[in-house]
Amino acid sequence: MNHFAVFFKKELKESVKTYKLLLLGIVFLILGIMNPLVAKLTPDLLASFLPEGMSITIPEPSSLDSWAQFFKNIQQMGLIVVLLVFSGVLTNELSRGTLVLLLTKGLPRQTVILAKYAAMLVLWTMSVAISHVVTWVYTVYLFPDNLSQNLFFATFCLWFFGALLLAVLLLGGTLVSSSYGSLLVTGGLVVLLNLLNLFSALKEYNPLALATKNMDVVSGAVAVSELYPQIGITVALILATLGLTVLLFRRKLV
Amino acid sequence: MNILEIKDLHMSFGSNEVLRGLDMVVPENSVFGFVGKNGAGKTTTMKIILGLLKPDQGTVMVCGEKVTYGSSRTNRHIGFLPDVPEFYSYMRPLEYLHLCGEIAGLSRERIKERSVELLELVGLGDVNRRISWFSRGMKQRLGIAQALITEPRLLICDEPTSALDPIGRRQILDILAALKGRTTVVFSTHILSDVERICDQVAILDGGKLVVSGPISELRRRYRRNSFSVRFSSPEEAARFAALSALQQPTISVIVDGDTLTVASADQNGTGQLLISLFSSEGIVPEKFEVLEPTLESLFEEVVQ
Repeated sequence: MNHFAVFFKKELKESVKTYKLLLLGIVFLILGIMNPLVAKLTPDLLASFLPEGMSITIPEPSSLDSWAQFFKNIQQMGLIVVLLVFSGVLTNELSRGTLVLLLTKGLPRQTVILAKYAAMLVLWTMSVAISHVVTWVYTVYLFPDNLSQNLFFATFCLWFFGALLLAVLLLGGTLVSSSYGSLLVTGGLVVLLNLLNLFSALKEYNPLALATKNMDVVSGAVAVSELYPQIGITVALILATLGLTVLLFRRKLV
Repeated sequence: MNILEIKDLHMSFGSNEVLRGLDMVVPENSVFGFVGKNGAGKTTTMKIILGLLKPDQGTVMVCGEKVTYGSSRTNRHIGFLPDVPEFYSYMRPLEYLHLCGEIAGLSRERIKERSVELLELVGLGDVNRRISWFSRGMKQRLGIAQALITEPRLLICDEPTSALDPIGRRQILDILAALKGRTTVVFSTHILSDVERICDQVAILDGGKLVVSGPISELRRRYRRNSFSVRFSSPEEAARFAALSALQQPTISVIVDGDTLTVASADQNGTGQLLISLFSSEGIVPEKFEVLEPTLESLFEEVVQ
């Protein structure tokens, strides 16, 4: 069996045995269940808190509210949980020294990076898929309207943004050799992207749109094709990040 | 044949020059003790041999092949055991050896065969606990098993015994000694009794160079200081013997310590015969009479300033 398959399998096994898979599954399942429920119950909750005799008009919730919850939760909670769970994926092995034994047996260094990235993508995909499917089922059941469109594409964009952050997380781990360091580098990138958004000229190419324009895609305010440049840029950024990580990791002392 | 040849190795970390022209040769099928003070550069040397560090200057040949930094080609000849081996703690020993075997490119059947054989060899044959429950000694033994899975011609162990209790240490030494003849073993240590117990070759590293290197028996001969130790039945007898006029020569020095005399001279044979003839003429049977061999410890202290 080739090295990639062996190490990839080891990473997946590790996710199961160290409860990463379970944790992500539960968190994203809960998020998925919560989204439509929060959308449905918010008006009732608000009404119950109002003093008697007072009334406000709250628009009837729709599937759009449910999906707005979905994107907000995945972006704020989901991504952070995923990054926290994976923050030590490379740095723990470096600081404990578990990699040395395998590297001296002929495991190529680029395989370590690529297999780890692939395994993280599998778990991230699984997490987003769980949340998406659960949200979708509940939303269709609770809000049988046809207001939401391009749901798959909108989720795909957010997933893609997450894929970029995971690549940067690995780069951070290679650069600073500590899990806090890799989180810091990843956080730094998000801050940088937010700053770049201040320049309207760059806005069109900022990958951040993949995590912020999702509801505009769902409501139809933004056409799918308008996000193509950002997707292209993100693909390029992911490849460049992985390439740089491999180069740095080859020179790294273990 | 030499399984490992190091020539003129230089290595510094910043301004700290760790290796300054290290030359070392390890003959095949030896058990080679690599001795030096803490921080002498033993681990650095081993990491260079494994291609994990890039030396400033010098070459390392393993089985006639040159080691290049960052490549793992020559590592197929080498099994490596770090000072504190770390494993994936959620795995069981068989699982871990399986992973190692797969990475080394062994066939499934071979891995199974080797794993069982090796776990038996290191005394973990019936241990099916997760590695997180392993003691240090057990981890060290599993470390030897993983290092041997590819049947390497050279086994490199970095201070395999320093962190262990006396029983754990003896177990590790027994395992290493049992490999003699099948695999060349190089192990670094600062525990000299370990070297004396199992090594046939020794090299002492100091100041970034080897100060002494060769078969232990030869070193003992070379550093023998032509002296004898004689123990008498009582201190009085020892004092009486030391006062004999035959021993009052400028070339012979006699040190009395209770019932024991240490007699040193330039001419070993002559002095030895003189002592024996004195025993017979004085009618003394000493309790112990021996040619003093330098211990590794005294040798180490002598060559390492």
